[in-house]
Amino acid sequence: MAAGGADLIRMMASGDREAFGRFYDRYACLVYSLILRIVGVRGDADEVLQEVFWEAWQGAAAYDPARGSPEAWIVMRARTRAIDRVRSVRRRGETFVAPVDDGLVAAPPGPGGDAAERAADRGLVTGALAELPPAQREVIELAYYGGLTQTEIAARLDQPLGTVKTRMRTGLERLREILGRQAR
Amino acid sequence: MNHETFDARVAAYALGALDGEDRAEFEAHLAAGCARCEAALREAREALAALAREAPPASPPPRLRDELLQRLAMSARRPTREELRRTWLRWTAATAAAMLVGGFLVGGWVAARYEARLGLAARQVSAAREQARRSDAALHARLAANEDVLALLRDPATRIIALRGAGPSPEAHGRLVWHEQAGGHLVVARLPPAPEGKAYEAWTIAGGRPRPAGLFQVNASGEAVHRVHAPGPVEVFAVTLEPAAGTDAPTGPIVLASQR
Repeated sequence: MAAGGADLIRMMASGDREAFGRFYDRYACLVYSLILRIVGVRGDADEVLQEVFWEAWQGAAAYDPARGSPEAWIVMRARTRAIDRVRSVRRRGETFVAPVDDGLVAAPPGPGGDAAERAADRGLVTGALAELPPAQREVIELAYYGGLTQTEIAARLDQPLGTVKTRMRTGLERLREILGRQAR
Repeated sequence: MNHETFDARVAAYALGALDGEDRAEFEAHLAAGCARCEAALREAREALAALAREAPPASPPPRLRDELLQRLAMSARRPTREELRRTWLRWTAATAAAMLVGGFLVGGWVAARYEARLGLAARQVSAAREQARRSDAALHARLAANEDVLALLRDPATRIIALRGAGPSPEAHGRLVWHEQAGGHLVVARLPPAPEGKAYEAWTIAGGRPRPAGLFQVNASGEAVHRVHAPGPVEVFAVTLEPAAGTDAPTGPIVLASQR
């Protein structure tokens, strides 16, 4: 039987590059799909993917199986890095007019083009998310794909902060039920 | 604070959507070692990770894999912990400098021909900001621990117990701020860092029976502050050197002990 994700991470921690290759082959597509969904531009997604796997190689020794599955370890790291990227692009969009140094200018200026908009508008809702009531799905997508905080979501949706908090909490509870049901 | 408040924040924290005070409080609570929130957070993260499967499937260009493996081969020797720490320090210093430079540039040089460099500075500033946010969380956790000690000290039932070095570390000394209902904080000094694979384990001893009261490590100067969660009557308080995973009963030498 093939080595599990946790075994591969352990081998990576001892410097096994072949194990890294297998780890990459196992998770790269999943991780890349998520990163691309968040950052929206292939050039950016490429950089973030390399950053995430490089960090995984360097941080393999710190992986603790008791704290989560290998998939959650790499996926949540990827989400954080992708959001960091989106946020830095968004901040630059606000602060500077037309930065010209590299390919990071992909997010079109003005409303309608940033990652949070994409999160809300993609319309490609399938699977567990599709089973959520739209109001709950919306706040989870804005946070998960758009990297918005509760306060930012409340402002964007023009809803009371308390409402956003409740929707986020109940939404994630529902999501866990749905995913648990699918897993059975 | 009612624990319900923290239960309500787990989902938002896992999503990275908690902000301001909510976030600082929750991180301090986690840093204090709440097993219930750790478990809830783990489950929330697993569910959120599963959501990645719902993104439209995409394959990364094959060259990314080749480049990564090449980079790995070039850095064949993995850095030691000490080197990593130094790199981190350098990086912190560099980002702090970048933040200064970035601020300076933003303030004075917003001229068209510098826009390319400003873009770069902006990225460095945002990295520095992220770094600052992390140290902020660590500070909040330390503050929460300090406040906890203060709250204990205000309670007349709290005792201060002196611990003296013994066995391999006669130089060491410690103080235990102890409350029979709330547990306490152990502050130690001049205790040599535990050897590789070992950790210090605290014990509360009552009726001749030692009960484990948590594992801890000291910093490079031999200091540590350790939260003791095992409340109850204590006759003697002791610290031994044990395997890093901890034991149920003391096996190693006593390095610190309270006097009867």
